[in-house]
Amino acid sequence: MRRWYISILSLNTSIKNKMSVSMPQKRYYRQRAHSNPMADHTFEYPVCPEDMDWSQLYPEFFSDHQSTQKAAQVEFADIGCGYGGLLVELSPLFPKQLILGLEIRVKVSDYVQDRIRSLRAAETGSYQNIACLRSNAMKYLPNFFSKGQGLVYTNTDVEEVHLWMVKHFSEHLLFTRVPDAELVDDVIISRLGTCTEEGKKVQRNGGKNYLAVFRRVEDQN
Amino acid sequence: MFQAVLLPAAMPKDVWICIKLIQEPFVFDCSAAEQKPKDPEADNKSDGSEETGSDKILAFAVSSSAKLVALTDDTKRLVLFRCEPSWQVISTRWVVRRCTSLVFTEAEDEVWAADKSGDVYSFSVVEPQKTGELKLGHLSMLLSMTLTPNDKYVVTADRDEKIRVSHLRSPHNIQAFCLGHLEFVSSLLVPPGHPQWLLSGSGDGTMKLWEYESGRRLQSWDLKQLRDMPNSDTEKEKRSAVSRIAGSPGGHHVAVQCERVPSVQLFGMEQGTEERLMPSSRLTLPHCPLDLTFDPQGRLWVLLDSRETPFLVYTHTQDSWQCDSESPELKRVTEALQPHWEALQDSAGLESRFQHLYKGNFDNMASYREKKQQRLQQQKDQGGKKRGPGKGQQSNGASKKAKKGNQPGPVTKASS
Repeated sequence: MRRWYISILSLNTSIKNKMSVSMPQKRYYRQRAHSNPMADHTFEYPVCPEDMDWSQLYPEFFSDHQSTQKAAQVEFADIGCGYGGLLVELSPLFPKQLILGLEIRVKVSDYVQDRIRSLRAAETGSYQNIACLRSNAMKYLPNFFSKGQGLVYTNTDVEEVHLWMVKHFSEHLLFTRVPDAELVDDVIISRLGTCTEEGKKVQRNGGKNYLAVFRRVEDQN
Repeated sequence: MFQAVLLPAAMPKDVWICIKLIQEPFVFDCSAAEQKPKDPEADNKSDGSEETGSDKILAFAVSSSAKLVALTDDTKRLVLFRCEPSWQVISTRWVVRRCTSLVFTEAEDEVWAADKSGDVYSFSVVEPQKTGELKLGHLSMLLSMTLTPNDKYVVTADRDEKIRVSHLRSPHNIQAFCLGHLEFVSSLLVPPGHPQWLLSGSGDGTMKLWEYESGRRLQSWDLKQLRDMPNSDTEKEKRSAVSRIAGSPGGHHVAVQCERVPSVQLFGMEQGTEERLMPSSRLTLPHCPLDLTFDPQGRLWVLLDSRETPFLVYTHTQDSWQCDSESPELKRVTEALQPHWEALQDSAGLESRFQHLYKGNFDNMASYREKKQQRLQQQKDQGGKKRGPGKGQQSNGASKKAKKGNQPGPVTKASS
């Protein structure tokens, strides 16, 4: 057993010498799940969405030939992306679309950034459409994104949280619930509960996943 | 025809004085106002969060016809008054949290209150005893609020540099954000005569002009640069927030006041292919102003922190602003205020109303990055010597386990 352990490590070392960036190890990036979103931590955020330089996060999408094509826009936002499981899973499914993960915790957001960097280095051309930002989405979402239509996917293993989210989104006059029948072919749904750290933990413990999807609608007035 | 000159005096004080030019001054003392009835259930809770407030007035508002006035104080009262035919308290209600801003709808059917936790409530005027209804919320302390003409939108500004424009009748529907300020937004005004414009002032020392419906920024001025005094390079001028923006009724002039700055910056409307606001003149004052406003005749009234000359009046004649020291109204208003000056004494003065709103910078990333650098460096150094994690490179979990292992086990005492 021990010899096998060493040989795997020696394999890692030789790969390390070839790769410029190695995979980050989660154990160095652990941070407790709760962070006070009302506190005045210093975050970097643009003054307004027009000022945001996305080319820093998605260099391949904003290279020289960009003038001939319409500027790429972030179309998916993972609010509270944790260790980036969903980002990594969705990246090959939507290769032409930009996906952004927002995470408030220092260590965890750093982990995701390191992870993406190392994935991009390992597979040229891949994972260029995902990125992670450390930010407080509750406060600063309007700084990054302009008004738009779209879908909100919510997923939790805690029933009370699920019911709370369903209540508030259903009561909100600008959102309507998307019925399960319409979600049968949705590629995101099947992955929501399985590819994140939290999702895997729930599966291991035999927990249940509560899913709810909402669509932004026009004001009726 | 009556003339009402009601100065929004932005100082925390217990007593609120209204001086109407054709009537006797009206004095209202919050400390003598209705007390909140004790809730027997609340007394049993000892969470310590309910500290008794002082009776200092935090905000007030005057309705468009000047027939109604509302004020709110540190004890969380919301008092509604009528001024005609005489002053009378209509109702005293209670707000959930201390408020920073009050505004009447144009229709005068509601008064809206913005509080320190970021929430906005509307209170009925028609049913003066009805409790407030939650309308919208920010994630940060609200500092200023205004309504747009015909009560179409409610504009709210907070400590997180945000200005939000929401539909008044369906406030969950955000029309736009006006984003551009770099510090808290301390004042808002839809200038008379320009119903599509919004002026905003901030702790960043700038005033900005917006087309609020789209959130588009039209113009921006750095008030400090406009003051630009060449002799003051030795003293570092502390940052000064914009504390008041006022617009003349005709829509031709705008006056701007910055805290602890003894001057008023005036702007004029420049006619051209498109209307633009341009800085016109700066009035130097003998003391720092506490507040300012335009009267229905377009005269600029300035409230100063001075017992001898609490008021200054300026009239615009032939491209300049002249100080009118002989005006009978000025004399009347000064005489009415002076006996109450002691009550107002404990005011802003040298202190700043806004200094505590600037955010401190806690760089969460710096110390983390340092430790990470050290860890990576150590790993690099030890990479050639050892296989597997180095001695000093334990993850958090591993080091905690090691600590536990060192502790002595439970010692059993022999029972006697």
